Amino acid sequence: MAPRLPARCWRQLALRPSSTATPTTLPRASLLPTTTTTTTSSSPAHHPLLPYTQSRTVKSGWSTLPSRAKPHRFNQVTSGLPAPTAGPAAALKRKERSTPVRAGVLAVKKGMTVFMGRTGARIPCTVLQLDRVQTVLNKTRSKHGYWAVQVGMGERQAGNVTAPLLGYYEAKGIAPKEALAEFRVRDERGLLPVGVQLLPDWFHIGQRVDVRSNSRGMGFAGGMKRHGFAGQEASHGNSKNHRTIGSAGPSQGSGSRVLPGKKMPGRMGNQRVTIQNLPVLMVDNELGIVVVKGCVAGHKGAVVKIQDACKKDPPPDEFIEKTRKLIEERFPEAEAHLQAARERHLELKEARREKRIAELMAQGMKPTEEQADAIEQIIAASAREDTAERAPAEF
Amino acid sequence: MSTTPLARRPLSCLKASLRQARQHKLLTRPMATEATQRTTTPPPPPRRPLEHNFFPLTDRKTKALRSAFAVYPSTTVAGKQALRPPPANVLQSLHEAQMKRMDPTGARTALFAKTREAAKVGDVLLVTHRRGGEPFAGVCLSIRRRGVDTAVLLRNHLARVGVEMWFKVYNKNVAGIEIVKRRAKRARRARLTYMRQPKHDMGSVADLVFAWKRSRKVFSTGKPAAAAKAAKGAKGAKAAAGAKKK
Repeated sequence: MAPRLPARCWRQLALRPSSTATPTTLPRASLLPTTTTTTTSSSPAHHPLLPYTQSRTVKSGWSTLPSRAKPHRFNQVTSGLPAPTAGPAAALKRKERSTPVRAGVLAVKKGMTVFMGRTGARIPCTVLQLDRVQTVLNKTRSKHGYWAVQVGMGERQAGNVTAPLLGYYEAKGIAPKEALAEFRVRDERGLLPVGVQLLPDWFHIGQRVDVRSNSRGMGFAGGMKRHGFAGQEASHGNSKNHRTIGSAGPSQGSGSRVLPGKKMPGRMGNQRVTIQNLPVLMVDNELGIVVVKGCVAGHKGAVVKIQDACKKDPPPDEFIEKTRKLIEERFPEAEAHLQAARERHLELKEARREKRIAELMAQGMKPTEEQADAIEQIIAASAREDTAERAPAEF
Repeated sequence: MSTTPLARRPLSCLKASLRQARQHKLLTRPMATEATQRTTTPPPPPRRPLEHNFFPLTDRKTKALRSAFAVYPSTTVAGKQALRPPPANVLQSLHEAQMKRMDPTGARTALFAKTREAAKVGDVLLVTHRRGGEPFAGVCLSIRRRGVDTAVLLRNHLARVGVEMWFKVYNKNVAGIEIVKRRAKRARRARLTYMRQPKHDMGSVADLVFAWKRSRKVFSTGKPAAAAKAAKGAKGAKAAAGAKKK
């Protein structure tokens, strides 16, 4: 309940005829709407400074509990104990230094070539091409438990995309992508606007990157090829056991079992391989390529992830700032587009639920009457404002 | 002139009452904002309607429309239609750019192009190396064509031991490549690996190189410029790679 002035105050003020005419109170009363002034004059229990509505709720901080029962830093069971070394927060803290500051990009391995130097140097290198790389989602600590940027690459036909993903892309306002991947970043400073394109100048020449991709699949391979076993001899009484792995372990006394993790024949390759600290030799926006020194796992056409090397220092702050500014300059409407796409998604979602989607499809892309009216109103309002602005200028 | 304390300080009672209202203090709207007129934020400019198509999901049997999703054009990027796929033949353009840089005259490219005048497998070639040492001559066993990484494999006998060397054609360390002797008949293999066998081995090419050098001396008048001119006039392809050396 709103606190009131004690009766002794206003009673005395009311008794003194000069106090009502003081210049401090008058203008205040005149500023208020007429209804309020009448009530103040008739019932002096409502003071104009104080609100009329009662607003003491649990949300306003009001509680009937004794003050000691409020959860506080000092009355917790964990108070005074060191911070836990396990758990999500501790894990994030532990991995902070080895998590890159910036997000990475997806690329396609185009093949290998060489860089011929002027002095006869010859550097083998891999050409990675960025095909319409766009940011798709920001993952946050509060919502997802960690900081990351989801990035998409290429183009996929809508017919080859599942319905849930179609809805996902619809809400993002971007076309379905060939590949999606997530890049962990250190904190919220690594997040990016959604829907913007990342070009090769996201990296600079000379910086080190980690390149991740799946290696070529070798199929089912024997122990010699898969694990480098020595095999067995060709002769000296050997019979039909030239490339076999030999014994799988000791016998009775050692448990007569095969120990877990025993290297055996099996599927080889097609595993995630990370090549660390590859220097960037060339960056070209026109060709859309990033050229890195050395080789990268996978076949030609393989999808690779490129990110700042986690075992090296991040790129200089000036460069990071520059890349961010470039994105802002190139795509100033990213946020507005995302918002519009979200609204459209909600509208379509409602229509799907109510089985009205056929009507909307028949309408095509024309704005609905409500939208058209709203747009017209806005235009009219802006026109009126323009005239209103001009009018005093003429006087 | 004695006035009551209340009359002297009429607002002194406010302190006690406001103390009670401490929790409400933050929630109450100050008078200043009540009096001021609300500034109307300018309405956002009318957005262009989003450009997208619909992708219908139909029932497999009845073919009736089940649902539909908005699918944006593949060029859509942050409200613009500016997304384009990058060029497909990147490696080729990279190779061409580098070949132009490493071989501005185009002599090396012409020497190993697939033309009649170009060097072929089975020809005896002489490679001059920039890093000092004797020029290496040998019969060309194979030409590995990889754009700027194109290389040739030469085989010779040094001190009666077979020696094979790969040379990167566009490398700056390779100062010049000359054709010492052409093969009489076109080889019918791309790689003459059979020439490693004793039956087909050509042995040392030293005598061929010696004869070639002597013939050049006969043609030339002793002056290098005239020699180059004569060589160019006589055998175009031969001079092509050697021109830079002279």
